[in-house]
Amino acid sequence: MSVLAMSDHTEVTPHSFGLAVRQTVAMAKRSTLEIFRQPALVAPSMIFPIFFAALGASSFGKTTDLPGFPKVDSFLQFSIAATVVQGVLFGSVTGAAALATDIQNGFFDRLLLSPTTRTGILIGRLAGSAIFGALQAAFFIAVLWPFGGTIESGFIGIAIMVVSGGIVALAIGALMSSVAIRTGSAEAVQGAFPLLFVLLFFSSAFFPRETMTGAYRKIADFNPISHLVEGMRELVLSGYTTSALMKAILIPTAVCIASILFAQTELRRRLAAK
Amino acid sequence: MNQTIRSSRAMMIRGLLTIRRLPSAFFPSLAMPVFTMIAFAGTYFAITKIPGFPTDRSVNWFLPLGISFGSAFSGIGMGFSTIRDIETGFYDRLRMSPTSRLSLITGPLFTAWIRSLMLCAFVIPFGVALGARFTGGLLGILALVVASLGISTISLGWGLGLAYRFRDMRGAAVMQLTMFIVLYLSTAQMPLPLLQGWLHAVARVNPVTNILRLAREGLVNTTSPDYLSWNNTWGGLLAIVIMATLTLIFAGRGLRTLDK
Repeated sequence: MSVLAMSDHTEVTPHSFGLAVRQTVAMAKRSTLEIFRQPALVAPSMIFPIFFAALGASSFGKTTDLPGFPKVDSFLQFSIAATVVQGVLFGSVTGAAALATDIQNGFFDRLLLSPTTRTGILIGRLAGSAIFGALQAAFFIAVLWPFGGTIESGFIGIAIMVVSGGIVALAIGALMSSVAIRTGSAEAVQGAFPLLFVLLFFSSAFFPRETMTGAYRKIADFNPISHLVEGMRELVLSGYTTSALMKAILIPTAVCIASILFAQTELRRRLAAK
Repeated sequence: MNQTIRSSRAMMIRGLLTIRRLPSAFFPSLAMPVFTMIAFAGTYFAITKIPGFPTDRSVNWFLPLGISFGSAFSGIGMGFSTIRDIETGFYDRLRMSPTSRLSLITGPLFTAWIRSLMLCAFVIPFGVALGARFTGGLLGILALVVASLGISTISLGWGLGLAYRFRDMRGAAVMQLTMFIVLYLSTAQMPLPLLQGWLHAVARVNPVTNILRLAREGLVNTTSPDYLSWNNTWGGLLAIVIMATLTLIFAGRGLRTLDK
């Protein structure tokens, strides 16, 4: 108890700040390597969004003339933003599940007993998810590009989408890490996964909000995923605009700050209980 | 024969008791079809406005899809239970007992059918409450229930066959993935004439397309060519018989492999 408590109240000096950064980078490196060393765990979050994009392009190709549907070259172009967000959301669970596994097998406790920055343990773990999320976004854009998935905003739009992918992964990773820290169970993290699925489906990710009606439309209006996807979609379909940038970057950033604070609260609660 | 029936009944009761003892394993198979129906009907509400779409209610189109997914997973769920029994060694005790080998397949099959019927009894009223209308009346409901039982039989055979071969939870992922893909590569989301490109070619030869036509024939508009008729029924029944026979043979051979 005293060791854990002490490290939380240690005075921060330039030397200790540098050390904390080095520790965080080391843990970020570990979590990133961990993702790439287990391709079977991350493959579904890479393959399924592409499968759904291909499926949607063939299934809903004739819907692009419907009233309320934005002007698009193809349904595939419309679905790029949804593919990116879907893949990143699903992929970000992997990092949180790994954190829960660390807790289950005792590695997390060993980290806590070592003279390591507490925030670094969390941020280091989440950094791996963020890097993976950004790479996923770049991967989806690159794979869909030759099949008609052109990005009207060009390189700047792609860069924004990649950065947004990283921030979304960080935000959702932090949220899921809260579950991991609270429960210490990888199963609980996986069990929370369907909530992401619900959040994604009750949004305008797969079809324009303008074509929806009733309660479903109202839910989609309130769902932040709708606005995030629409920001990215604007970059894909209409080119660079300030509103697209705001939606694609600011919404996930706001969620990210809130979820990291929440995860840190959970971490402090866990430390206090030890 | 009597012994086979008695053993199958005992296996079925055991399977049904699992629902009460482990509701967390059964609940997703009820929740998932409802979620699929609501989410798809809400998201793709506007597709019914496309000229040539066979119904003017999106929930009519996606209710059978939800039930099909649920039925597929009710069959696969028995595959999961079998894997668990194999891993814990309980299945060895079942195999050593002086009973017919057939009951090891028919018992879970009866359980899957009952689970599938429970699913229909839960999801159909839910769908009706959300606005689904059976244009084909009771015959339409019957067609949907028959399709549901067919899909659960096919998925059970496939699930057991894989469980006997993999003998661990790796098989569970393969079961889910393959059923999921086979269902999606059909008219799951759109009618055949409205599909384009590669998916149209795949869905045209996918037998699941015929089963979904059977499931939906009592829910489409009465003016639609897909409306309740023998022409829209026999293809689905034939697909069920052929696929169920093949997957149950696959399961039977897998059981013999397990014995060796």
